[in-house]
Amino acid sequence: MSEAKLVTVTINGVESQVPAGELLIKAAQDEGTYIPRFCWHQRMSPVGMCRMCLVEIETPRGPMMVTACTSPVSDGMVVDTESEEVKKAQEAILEFLLANHPLDCPVCDKGGECPLQDQALAYGPGESRFVEIKRSFEKPIPISELVLLDRERCILCALCTRFSEEISGDPLIEFQHRGNTTEVNTFPDLPFSSYFSGNTVQICPVGALTAKPYRFRARPWDLQKVESSSLQDTAHPRIEIHASQNEILRYTGVDNDATNHGWLSDKARFGYEYLRSDQRLTSPLVRRGGELVEVSWTEAIDTAANRLDLIKSEDGGEALAVIGGAQGTNEDAYAISKFARVALGSNNVDARLDDALASHFLSASVDRATIADIDDADTIVVWAPDLKEEHPTLYLRVRRAAQELGATLVVIHPRATGLDDRASHKLTYRPGGGYELLDELANGDHPEVSQAFAAEKVVALVGIASHADGPQLAESVAALVRRKAVHAKLMPLNSRANTYGALDMGLAPDLLPGRVGLDTIGCANLAASWGDIPAVIGRDTRQILQGLDSGEVRGLVLVGADPINDLPEPSIAVDALDAAEYVIAIDLFLNDSNRNADVILPASGFSEKEGTVTNVEGRVQKVNQIRPAPGQARTDWAILDDIATRMGVSLGLASAEGITKEIATVSPAYEDLTWDSLEWDHRDGIVVPIHGAQAINHIPVALQGSKAPTAKLTLHVARVMYDNGVRLQHSPSLHKLGPGAVAHLNPGDAPSIGARDGHTIKVVTTRGEGEFTCVLDEGTPTGVVYVPFNQQGASSLGSDPVVRVTTS
Amino acid sequence: MGVIREFIKGLRVTGGTMLRTITGEELVTTEYPKEMRQKPPRFHGRHVLNRYPDGMEKCIGCELCAGVCPAKCIFVRGMDNDPENPTSPGERFGFVYEINMLRCIFCALCVEACPTEAITMTHLFEMSTTNREDAIYTRETLLMDEKGGVPHMFPDDELADMDELAVADGWVKATAPSGMASYQGVKMWQGTPGPGDWDPEPGQSELDARSPTEDDDG
Amino acid sequence: MATTPLGNLLMTTVEKAANWSRTRSMWPATFGLACCAIEMMATGAAHHDLARFGMEVFRASPRQADLMIVAGRVSQKMAPVLRQVYDQMPDPKWVISMGACASTGGMFNNYALVQGVDQIVPVDIYVPGCPPGPQSLMHGILTLHDKIMAGEIKR
Repeated sequence: MSEAKLVTVTINGVESQVPAGELLIKAAQDEGTYIPRFCWHQRMSPVGMCRMCLVEIETPRGPMMVTACTSPVSDGMVVDTESEEVKKAQEAILEFLLANHPLDCPVCDKGGECPLQDQALAYGPGESRFVEIKRSFEKPIPISELVLLDRERCILCALCTRFSEEISGDPLIEFQHRGNTTEVNTFPDLPFSSYFSGNTVQICPVGALTAKPYRFRARPWDLQKVESSSLQDTAHPRIEIHASQNEILRYTGVDNDATNHGWLSDKARFGYEYLRSDQRLTSPLVRRGGELVEVSWTEAIDTAANRLDLIKSEDGGEALAVIGGAQGTNEDAYAISKFARVALGSNNVDARLDDALASHFLSASVDRATIADIDDADTIVVWAPDLKEEHPTLYLRVRRAAQELGATLVVIHPRATGLDDRASHKLTYRPGGGYELLDELANGDHPEVSQAFAAEKVVALVGIASHADGPQLAESVAALVRRKAVHAKLMPLNSRANTYGALDMGLAPDLLPGRVGLDTIGCANLAASWGDIPAVIGRDTRQILQGLDSGEVRGLVLVGADPINDLPEPSIAVDALDAAEYVIAIDLFLNDSNRNADVILPASGFSEKEGTVTNVEGRVQKVNQIRPAPGQARTDWAILDDIATRMGVSLGLASAEGITKEIATVSPAYEDLTWDSLEWDHRDGIVVPIHGAQAINHIPVALQGSKAPTAKLTLHVARVMYDNGVRLQHSPSLHKLGPGAVAHLNPGDAPSIGARDGHTIKVVTTRGEGEFTCVLDEGTPTGVVYVPFNQQGASSLGSDPVVRVTTS
Repeated sequence: MGVIREFIKGLRVTGGTMLRTITGEELVTTEYPKEMRQKPPRFHGRHVLNRYPDGMEKCIGCELCAGVCPAKCIFVRGMDNDPENPTSPGERFGFVYEINMLRCIFCALCVEACPTEAITMTHLFEMSTTNREDAIYTRETLLMDEKGGVPHMFPDDELADMDELAVADGWVKATAPSGMASYQGVKMWQGTPGPGDWDPEPGQSELDARSPTEDDDG
Repeated sequence: MATTPLGNLLMTTVEKAANWSRTRSMWPATFGLACCAIEMMATGAAHHDLARFGMEVFRASPRQADLMIVAGRVSQKMAPVLRQVYDQMPDPKWVISMGACASTGGMFNNYALVQGVDQIVPVDIYVPGCPPGPQSLMHGILTLHDKIMAGEIKR
């Protein structure tokens, strides 16, 4: 950030130095003078629609009224925000705004936190001279599955229209008609189906846009609030959790420079309903004679510990494994890691579900890009999943960088992505043919892209764009980018929210807490607090599941994981869990993977426990508790500590804060991390490694991969925002937004197959087959069949790109 | 002799008072529960949720009463009205309404806060219970019936006086509509299906002029 | 005793008689703690004639009292005193929790006050009100009479 030039302005008689070119309304706010406003938002360009921010500035021709939100400060400016004239103007504006705004505050969701209500009280005339009948519209009209619109409440501030156009890039809501009949609305037959629609509800200065899941559920004054970080998004956007009577009613975004700028995806904003689902597990269950029976915690822990102990004594720790931990806090992940290594004596532990980059790549500290680097970058390379679907916060940040900050954006993906309209260069490739394109890039076949690589600051977001390519491709991409641009910074992407924290806590077969590899030095350093750690590198998720199938692994502990629905190749998980001798599941819900488990232990979820989490850039933030866990549910770490104690091993985990202290002691990257510093000095979080400890120095290497298949059609399977995951299944508002079992085809391919829009087609691969509803879509290139991953009613097709499509 | 005369003089007062008490002329005792003392007009008794004359509920579930309650004894949750068969006019109605009478301090701030005059206070005061749960009045108990009566929390209680509930008096806001003289004589209430119509509010000067000897004892 | 109809009849009659006699002369121990106590005094005064129920004698000594009317907010400091007074009362004994503060803490939901006197002593009757007027308290007393009449001889 360059130092901005300062100019002197006088606001209400007080001189102050403010950055040149800043808008008067922002400068005044920073200096402590609040100028009332409706239409101005600090993250959006000003429009001067509402006229509420009128102030008087001195000009050679005497005082003049200007809108503070459209006037940049200049040197020697003299501003009066409280003069009689300004007061008269404010009263008049409010009187005009209230000429049509209904006084239904008692039934309006915004009542109590409404800027119009507040400012009418603070700056308004108190009574109106307008006696005419106010405008009325049909109300409320659902403009999407999540948002309702009450047009008569709208004061035409253009916040929602600007947000959807400038910030999220889905201009689906707009002003219509002219003059006195202007109204805000969506286009006919086109719902406001943006992934970011919830933000318009939050920024609406009146109750015109309201959220369906929150509508009439509570009033602002009976909400308890606590700040936290969302675990529905890998960037961990900062949120405020609002609850009443121990029930979570909504999340709101917190404006935060480091991550989300106050915006949230709808998944992060409305993804709380699962917490209050009545399907939550509330007491420990043990299988007796084929039936799951509710038992006491003591009995459940006894049963689990005895069996684990037995397997361990018979076959050693290698016969035991743990999968999961990417959805909880770092404290839970640390407990899992310690439990596996110390109590089970096994390195068979993995938080990734066979769809992630190499553990060393994901947790390397060298040349790791931060989210702030995206703003600074000259070139941003995105060879990753569609950011809009999987990493919404990063999507908004990249979009802003390309649109407003002038970065060159290169997007490489098998089909259309949300960033295409802002991309300087867009390359598509056939699924499975990533390596070919990589070779072409290496040979300089795409000069415009090579030119973009030559920039000074390059940030590359790499991840698994298609299941067909496999995780090695991303690493090869990173290697290429580093070869082309030596100072490039890398951001390896992975889908589950706290995978980064989990890996930092050692939840991989070859990692130890604190970004330390499982080697002799790492083991020796940890030996003082953990005792002896098995030195052999353990099995990853796929190997664990294969081991279960073959009987080499006898006992499995699943911690908040559902491999059957989450693995790209679910057949492995199905076979493994069928064959498994003993499965212990710690989870919020019964799911396909743990339904046949032998012991099921209820866990407390998000907002029911405190702890820290680590996001995609390594930023550690605090998550907070606002409600008690339902029934007898307990935190993962407490459950694991009890099982270990019952197995005769003391893990010494007593409290979440105590675990953080232990983490700070044993893991180099997290040294000196305390809750106090996260709660007071670093509310936006701290990027680890705090002291620059570079334990893992992973240099990506270019690998050779398969060529694109020669088949006529290739299959592209990718995750989308709303899938059939367990948390979304139990969030009714969001679950119905999933696309369902659909297969996208290019209209050009359709005639040869005989498929028509909306018809059922049969998709067959070597790993599976299923019937899907055909969607013809220009965004899918010719020769590609695109199927969203893990949808309700959709069968799994595996990751082999060769596909045959028939009309059934 | 003077002593005896004084003695008789004293007994005359005693005897006279006794006689007048027996005849009822100077009787001060009210034999509750056989007879009730007249409550002052603005007595704060148990709450009632009113209806409009067409039977619709006045409560819109806005939770202002819950917000203003100093004892936090009111719990309200709103819900969408069924457009076909609305419970209250408008979009929203109070779908949960609970008052913990044991927390309540009968300050009537809820009555003041209510934008629709849905909640008012009656003169009913007999609410003793044998356990704490029974003191939580729910929406069903608080809502008045079509005739303007209030359902009794314990209809089987032998102390319950159903006749009195049917003509429960005092569907009034707890305090004067406004301290402003300009509101003097203005009729502030919407017509409720409660008992009768209400006279315009007397002004403060009129109230001050009233005899202070009127029995305002509860 | 329970086998013969006569025995049953006899016991029931004795029970009723004993319960009736208990309701007719319940001597309250004063436990006036705050504003509710003023209304409690008013209840004992001439207007309401508590003597009709044989209750006009408010006893300062717990040894001579059957009924404790906890009138007012109970601070944490007063709690052990209250319990001691209750313990000193001879059986059978009853407790009326008068008013919002004694019953639940009322509007004083804070660290200084006991949130309901039933956390310290068993309460028979809760009287809502802030404060309950004399007639409200008398309704509570009558409810207590009902409860005693419906109850067993052994308490």
